[in-house]
Parts: sequence; structure tokens; C-alpha cells
Amino acid sequence: MSDKENLNAALAAATCALLGATNTAPVQASEADRWSFDTALLYYGESDDRVKDTSAAISATRDFSDERKLGLTLTADTLTGASASGAIAQDGPQTFTSPSGRAVYSTAAGEVPLDDTFKDTRFALNASWTQPLARLYTVSAGLGFSTEYDYTHIGANLLLARDFNKRNTTLSAGVSWSQDGIDPVGGAPLPLSQMLDVGNGANKAGSESKDVLDLLVGLTQVLDRTTILRLNYSFSDSSGYLNDPYKILSVVDPLTGDTIVRVPASGLQGPTGVYRFESRPDARAKHSLYAEVKHAFGAPVLTTAYRFMSDDWGIDSHTAEVKLRWPIGAASYIEPQLRYYAQTEADFYRVSLANGEPLPQYASADFRLGNFDAVTAGLKFGRSTSSGSEWSARLEYYQQSGDAPRDQIIGNQARRELYPDLKAVIAQFSYRFRL
Amino acid sequence: MKDPVPSVSAAQRLSLSRSPGHWTGRFTAMACPCEILIEAAQETLAARILETAAECAWRIEKKFSRYRRESVVQRINESAGQPIEVDDETANLLDFAATLTRLSERRFDITTGVLRKAWTFDGSDRVPSQDQLDALLKCVGWHKVLWRRPTLVLQPGMQIDFGGIGKEYAVDEAARLVEDLAPGLSCLINFGGDVAVRNPRRDGAPWRVGVEAADNAGAAVRLVHLQRGALATSGDSRRFVLREGRRYSHILDARTGWPVSDAPRSVTVAADTCTQAGTLTTLATLHGAKAEAFLKKSGAQYWLH
Repeated sequence: MSDKENLNAALAAATCALLGATNTAPVQASEADRWSFDTALLYYGESDDRVKDTSAAISATRDFSDERKLGLTLTADTLTGASASGAIAQDGPQTFTSPSGRAVYSTAAGEVPLDDTFKDTRFALNASWTQPLARLYTVSAGLGFSTEYDYTHIGANLLLARDFNKRNTTLSAGVSWSQDGIDPVGGAPLPLSQMLDVGNGANKAGSESKDVLDLLVGLTQVLDRTTILRLNYSFSDSSGYLNDPYKILSVVDPLTGDTIVRVPASGLQGPTGVYRFESRPDARAKHSLYAEVKHAFGAPVLTTAYRFMSDDWGIDSHTAEVKLRWPIGAASYIEPQLRYYAQTEADFYRVSLANGEPLPQYASADFRLGNFDAVTAGLKFGRSTSSGSEWSARLEYYQQSGDAPRDQIIGNQARRELYPDLKAVIAQFSYRFRL
Repeated sequence: MKDPVPSVSAAQRLSLSRSPGHWTGRFTAMACPCEILIEAAQETLAARILETAAECAWRIEKKFSRYRRESVVQRINESAGQPIEVDDETANLLDFAATLTRLSERRFDITTGVLRKAWTFDGSDRVPSQDQLDALLKCVGWHKVLWRRPTLVLQPGMQIDFGGIGKEYAVDEAARLVEDLAPGLSCLINFGGDVAVRNPRRDGAPWRVGVEAADNAGAAVRLVHLQRGALATSGDSRRFVLREGRRYSHILDARTGWPVSDAPRSVTVAADTCTQAGTLTTLATLHGAKAEAFLKKSGAQYWLH
């Protein structure tokens, strides 16, 4: 007779002796199927009326018996404001043809040109299914779709995890693939072609596309009762149209560094300087390594994380993050967090293009491909209610500062702002509840 | 049976209200909210069922609470080494407790109550000295008791309490009395989270029982559908000691005098009777970090937090 039979038989006999012979039928209980919802409102606002993004997301998870789970997420966000075009500041005002090719916009003297025609609304829908696959294996598969004015995205992913070592070790491997269609306002400009007058679409082609393949392997290890280590390696391969169709470079005098002046054709509006659309390679391979340690000091939990990313465009980035979740009473917690990010510039990052010199194969003045570092400091407060819901509010401040490569600065550029600082505020409110 | 009852008059209030598809009766007993859900029935019958269940709970509380003057338990605890003759019901509970001590390999013991003089479970890191515990442990251990049904002899200084058994026993007793009163009617008896249902509902719908698991990291409430049978939950979400990063539950291991460490914060078990379910939650918790392994082996349906 097994231990189980011993225990159950002894317990049943003892209960019968205590309660008398009862005619109770066997128990019939099951955990109810249920939905849980996570809702979040996020605001991201850059200083000086630059980009503002407001997004709302609702995700619903339904737990079925046997640890099977369905997840659905719907996100909507709107983007407004102005973003840097890549052109450099001048002593005089500058005029540009807007991406649509149907109007112009201007930048005042001494200011870094911002394209304020930027406005977009995006909707995204993701669905995922997770379930155990044999003992110790869990498989999860997802599909995603998003659409915005000039962009559509479809993606699929698959993740397999296996537990080892009494479930103290989990190894996982995943693959995801996506295809994006880019249909820029006014058409995709030919790389390195010159910005033309309003109404002249000779350098604009139709839509473009790109494919991204991601591979991931991960290890989660319980080190001891209070410490968990997570390691991830991921490889990402993008190919296709990787340009930002709205980014340009100023073409400058090789001695003074001033933008070459241009006069629009008579009777037409158009750019007052010579600007060329950027050109990026049509493939990018990224490797990234992520390590995270979570440690509980009694009730408070400290999370430290580091990510290293390196790609074949010459960008290396480091992210270090630390956050401490500190309980307040039985139902609340406060979580301060600090993140530092630094990256080197892409090999083809150019402040400007020198007039008369042969055009490089690739060039971009997009600040996001430049050399910069950024600090994010934030505070989160969360509280759970007696009904089992939980809400949290998070406020973060982001400050980014970058610089142009010294050896690329020509003449008068040295006294102008080439890489403006960026400050942003991020506020999030989320609420989780069950039905 | 866990904590003193504030006042008898406050406890002895009954309320019965009509809910969609069933009656809801409420009262307080054994320092916890009690609830009786009764499927569609005449109001007079519903009222009698509620009264029967409440009287059963109050009777058992009065008889077995270690805080109630003139309870059997007080009489036993004040016997100071003198033999005490007990009635059948008390004898049955003592036999049951002795079996649990054997099944738990002496982790469970109804004589551990004296150790509560040393332990305060208020979430602090206060722990008693080993000397203090060693002195109290002299008065702990069912094997030191002389039990020849119906006569019990405790050693001087020893005490018993029916914590971990009494409330579940009361639920099963109330379910039995209600069954005698209204055979076949589906009623859910819930004494502070320990639940029993004798009969499935006529409409086939299950009773929906919320299982609480208050926990710092984000409260989760599970919803269990119960057709018939019982559920019991033990938890230490509020009663625990934290020391050097380890969390000690308020359940004491009779072998060491120390609280169990690293046990799940909350264990819910489904079984045929509430007494069986409650016993399994207690025994599982006494296995600390190995609680889940114990429950798996028992073959019972369980939920951990």
C-alpha cells in the first residue's frame, strides 16, 4: 500500500469516527475559468513641444484549467508634435518641403530644424496562447497586427520553455518573425536624393517593406530562496527598407560648414538649402545580451539589470537599471527606479554632407543613430485592494544628451547646437482587475 | 476558536436576506464571519436552517473554546494533573487529534498551545530564546498525556486546544444537522472560509466560492466552483514572523517549538468533508517548503499561493 493510500485511508477512517457515518458523496470542485484584465494609460511628452505620445492599452487574459492561457491585447496610441529632421541649424531661417511634397515648413534662425507635420494614430492587436506541452514543457505562440497611417505590421512568435532541476531552472528558446509595410506620406524618397520643390515627386517611389527575424534563448535560474537570475541572448536580423523616409541631411560648404543655399524654381515653393534624404544599409544584425538579478531582502525586492547590444551598423549600447520594490503596509508598495543608457554612433552617422565630395553609400543624421547617453529616474506606487484588484501609478523623468563626432564638425558648425538635449516626462497609470 | 470573542450579544445576531436564486444567512461565531447560503426554499425553512447552523457553531465554540470559561477545554487545561472524564464528543475529538499527531509524525499536536506564551505573530522579527522554548517544550507532546477513553490526565502545566480542528468539525456538524432538517436541499455552510456543501443544487449550478490569498505582492482571489464537498484554507497572510529574510508561519511544529518556515502563504484543499480538507491544509503547512510535495502525494485537489 502506498503512502498516499495509507494517509487517505487513515484520514478517512479518523474522520468517519469523528463525524459518524456520513453519506457524503465525493467532492466536486473546480477552479472557475476566468478573465483578468490589465488596463494602462501612458503619456510620454518631450520638452519644447516635441513628440507627445498618449497610449491606452487593455489586455485580457483568460486562464483555463491545466495552465492553459489565452491573452489578447489591444493598444491605441496617438503621436503628435515635432521631431528633428536631421538637418542642422543655420544662422538664417530655413525652409523645407514637407514629407507630403505638397507644402513647406520653416525653421527660425539658429534653431535645430524640427518637422512638425508629424502626426499619427496607431492601433495594435496581439493574441497569444500558452499551454503546457508534456511534463516540464510550456509552449506559447502569438500573433500580432498593427496599423497606422503609413505603416502596417504583422508578426508571429513561438516560445518553448523547459523546466529542469525541480523547476529551479528554466531554459527557453523562441523565434519571432515580422513583416512591416511602409507607405510613407508622399512616397518613399530615393536614398541620398535631394529634397525637391513642392509638387515635384520625381525622387519619390511607392511603398517599401522590411522583414525582421528574432531568435532568443534564455535561462532563468533560482539561485536560492530569495534570488533569481535571468540571462537572455537574442539575435535580430532585419532586412529590407530600414530608412526613416522623413530624415534628411544638410549638404554644407566643406570649409564654412554652412548649408548650401538653394533657390526654389520660379513660382514654386521649395527648400532654401540643399538637403538629401538619408540612406541606411538594407540589412541590420543585432546581438544583445541581458542579465537580471532579483533579490528579496525580506519583503523588499531589488532588481538589477544590464543589457549589452551590438549591431553591424557600429552601434554598441549599454543599459543598466536598478529598481527597489519596497512594501508599505500589507497592500501597497513604492518602487524607485533608475536607468542609464549609453550608445555609440552608427558608422554612417553624419552631421552633414560636404558639398563636392563624393556621396557616401550610407549616411544618416538621425539623432537616434548618434552618440548619446540618457538617464531615466522614476517612481512607481502600487496598491492592491481587498477585492483583488491592483492599481499603480508611475512617473518618470528622462534626460538625454548627445554629441556630434568632433572630427565631423566643419567651420561654423562648431558654434551651433548640433545635438540638442532631450527631456521627457513619462506618466503611466494602470489598473488590474479580475472578473 | 482562534481568538477571544468580543461579546456574546454581538456574536448572537442572525441575519437572513434574499439573494438572486438563494437565501443568504449571516452571523458571527468563533471570531469569524459565518455565512449560510440556501438554495430556493420557503423563508421559514431557510430561517430554521440558519438558526440550526448558528446554534451548532455557538454550541461548539462555547464547549471547546480555550478562552471560554467553563468550556471543556478550560476544565481540562485547569485540571493540573488530575484525571478528567470527558463526554463522547470530546473523546472523539481527542481521538481524532491523536490520529493527526501520528499521521503527521508528531508535527501536529494539540498540546502546542503553551508555546504561544513565547511567540507573538504580528509580522515582527521577535523570537523567543531557546531556553524559554525548551522550558515550555517540557509541557508539549501528546505522548506525555494519559488518555484512556473517557479519562484524560494531562501533566501539570500542559494545555490543549482544538485550533486547526474545531472550526472544520463545526462546519461538518452544521452540515449534518442541516441535512437532517432539510434532506437533499443544497446549502453552503461557510465558517470563516471553511466550507461544506452536502448536496448539489437542483439547477445544476455550482456554488461559487472565493478563496482569499492576501499577499503583499498583489492580492489574488481565486474562484472555485463547488458542486458538493468541502474546502478549507489555511493561511498566514497576516500572522507570521519575519526573521533574516525567512517567513515563519503561525503554525508551530510540535517537535521543535518553532513555527514552520517557508510554507506556502495560503493552502486551500478540496475534500469530501471539511474536517478532511482542514486536516490536509494543516498537515501540508506543517511540511513547510515541502507542502506541495505532501499535497501531491495525498492526491487531493489543492491551490497554493
